[in-house]
Amino acid sequence: MAITRINIGPVHPSTHGVARLVVDLDGDTIVKVEPHIGYLHRGVEKLVENRIYMQSPPYMEKIDYVAPMAVDELYVATVEKALNVDVSEKASYARIILLELQRIASHLFFIGSVTNDLGQSFTGFMWGFMDRDKVLRLLENATGQRMFYVNMRLGGINREFPKDFEYETKEFLDYFEKRLKDYENFIEKNPIFIQRMKGVGILNLDDAINLGVTGHVLRASGVKYDVRKNNPYYKYSELNFHPKILSDGDNLSRFRIRVMEIRESIRLIRDSFYKMESADGSMVGMPVKLFSPKPTNKISIVNRELPRGEGLMYMVADDKKPYRLSMRAPTFINLAALNKIAKGHKLADLFSIFGTLDMVMADVDR
Amino acid sequence: MLIDNILNYFYSGLNSSNLLVSILFIAIYAILISIMISVFAYVFGWVERKMIAKVQRRHGPNRVGKWGLLQNLADLVKLITKEKIIPEDADPLLLNLAPILLVGVVTFIILLMPFSSYLQATNLGLGLLIIFVILGFTPILLFITGYATGGKFAELGAQRSVLMLISYEIPMIIVVATVGIAAGSYNLTSIMNMQSGLFNAFLMPIGFFIFFVVMLAELERPPFDLREADSELIAGWLTDVSAPYYAVALMLDYTRMFMGSLLIAILFFGGWSGPILPGILWLVIKAFVISLFIILVRVAVVRMRVDKILKTGWMYLLPLSIVNLLLTLIIVLK
Repeated sequence: MAITRINIGPVHPSTHGVARLVVDLDGDTIVKVEPHIGYLHRGVEKLVENRIYMQSPPYMEKIDYVAPMAVDELYVATVEKALNVDVSEKASYARIILLELQRIASHLFFIGSVTNDLGQSFTGFMWGFMDRDKVLRLLENATGQRMFYVNMRLGGINREFPKDFEYETKEFLDYFEKRLKDYENFIEKNPIFIQRMKGVGILNLDDAINLGVTGHVLRASGVKYDVRKNNPYYKYSELNFHPKILSDGDNLSRFRIRVMEIRESIRLIRDSFYKMESADGSMVGMPVKLFSPKPTNKISIVNRELPRGEGLMYMVADDKKPYRLSMRAPTFINLAALNKIAKGHKLADLFSIFGTLDMVMADVDR
Repeated sequence: MLIDNILNYFYSGLNSSNLLVSILFIAIYAILISIMISVFAYVFGWVERKMIAKVQRRHGPNRVGKWGLLQNLADLVKLITKEKIIPEDADPLLLNLAPILLVGVVTFIILLMPFSSYLQATNLGLGLLIIFVILGFTPILLFITGYATGGKFAELGAQRSVLMLISYEIPMIIVVATVGIAAGSYNLTSIMNMQSGLFNAFLMPIGFFIFFVVMLAELERPPFDLREADSELIAGWLTDVSAPYYAVALMLDYTRMFMGSLLIAILFFGGWSGPILPGILWLVIKAFVISLFIILVRVAVVRMRVDKILKTGWMYLLPLSIVNLLLTLIIVLK
């Protein structure tokens, strides 16, 4: 049969932004997928070179607009390493709480968008967004902004947690643990959902390692690698944390990993609140000033477990501004696995695979 | 009494020995039916939006008119007044003709349905078979809509609708034949009368289940909405055409849903039989409730893949429909 070449995107309902996929089809079967990127390139890494250190976080947040705080924190941590600023114990726990809340918000977006990619006319999507909104409200309470927080300061965060924050968060976590069962019953146990996800888009262990994928994609293929465990930062080593792994490497595993990670995050937040009570120091960092401390480390590399995989920032420091900044964006690397995974599947599965890789095109293009 | 008289007069007109009078009355009846279909399509456009919104914990349309009742009218006006663009590769004749023929198929089938003992264009002995023969045109017309626009997404959708046709048509015909066998007739009125004691849905639950699933596929409701799979093919055959076609397609979806619900009501829920209320109301109420269920399915399921539909059709629905046939034979012929 003749091979049909179709162009999907950059404007398409399920390309998660502006991905453009050129797909060669044999009937309804995928022969080749070629992702074309760059439609959302803003040159953030270059923009940073013309701004003093603490002027850049607002740009960083737009790299991954689903989990802005995670990227912001990655950048601020890189600067902290360059300027040799210590983060107090209390600030560490505060950051863990906020980051894990952000991770839950990001994963809820994932759950919603995957069901939508599979064609569930927005029910999972609306549910996911409804609960995501509850998380965003908590974060707004803590940071003062609903979506783009810009709350990371050198050595801490922008302000103390409000008095009711701990109570509200715990109340939400109680509600959300029950709510997760709804998601499992309604989505994860749906026979058609399982039929569409199980055994589809398998990425085996060797390929996963060779392609360099990280995050839930790697863990779903059976590699126990999580930066929070393997290269612990802040107080993750003191918290009781176990990365979740599954070995099938298919869509369903990638989905299940996400749900498990949400449970893990819930536990981490509870633990952190408990340990924060006896922690020393202040959680408020330095205010943003025109003159920051002089950098002591010329080159600083920091890696973090972002919600979408391992993020890494490499910065060459100059006096007031970064001389060069480069970021390893997790989804950019994960996108490379798309062709490998999608080959031989039906066109309908391309979108569920694309969805479970959890693409955010802004993160790919930067 | 007055209503009965009018209906009686109407009935005698429909079945008049004078061909011209008969045709005139059938034409009037067809217009009335078309109005009913349109009203139903309009109401259900609203009901679907509201109901899905409730499940998804949204409000749904609530700005135009009371409870957003006029929202669909506003949308319709907007869509129709938009510029009509036909893509360069499209075949304008087929593109314009296929939706009209589809509306024709739906109207024709509903004309053949008995709404009460008086209201039926013509009472054919093999009415049931003729309905399904005409229904068999639908996938072909849908296929034509796919090719008429000349777009690749539409073409993919068209290919899928043919694959679907292969997978569900045979179980559907077997179930329909089973209903006919149980009633001892292919006349719709006798089928309804036969169910005065026990609805077919309870006599042959397997058959009802198969028919319901198959109807979802026939109507291209989720999880079988492969032709217009919005997250994959953007909008199937509607991707490249302009808004007026979209308006027609939307109306068409609901009219076809009405037709499917009526069919299920007649074949499995005793059609117009029911206490107190007149028959026509009972039939419409039953169709309404069945449509609600068809809509509710949409909320919960994800879309099926084309090869899985084929597998479901041949591995499960076909054997089940034969089991249903045998069981019914045993019950009926005992």
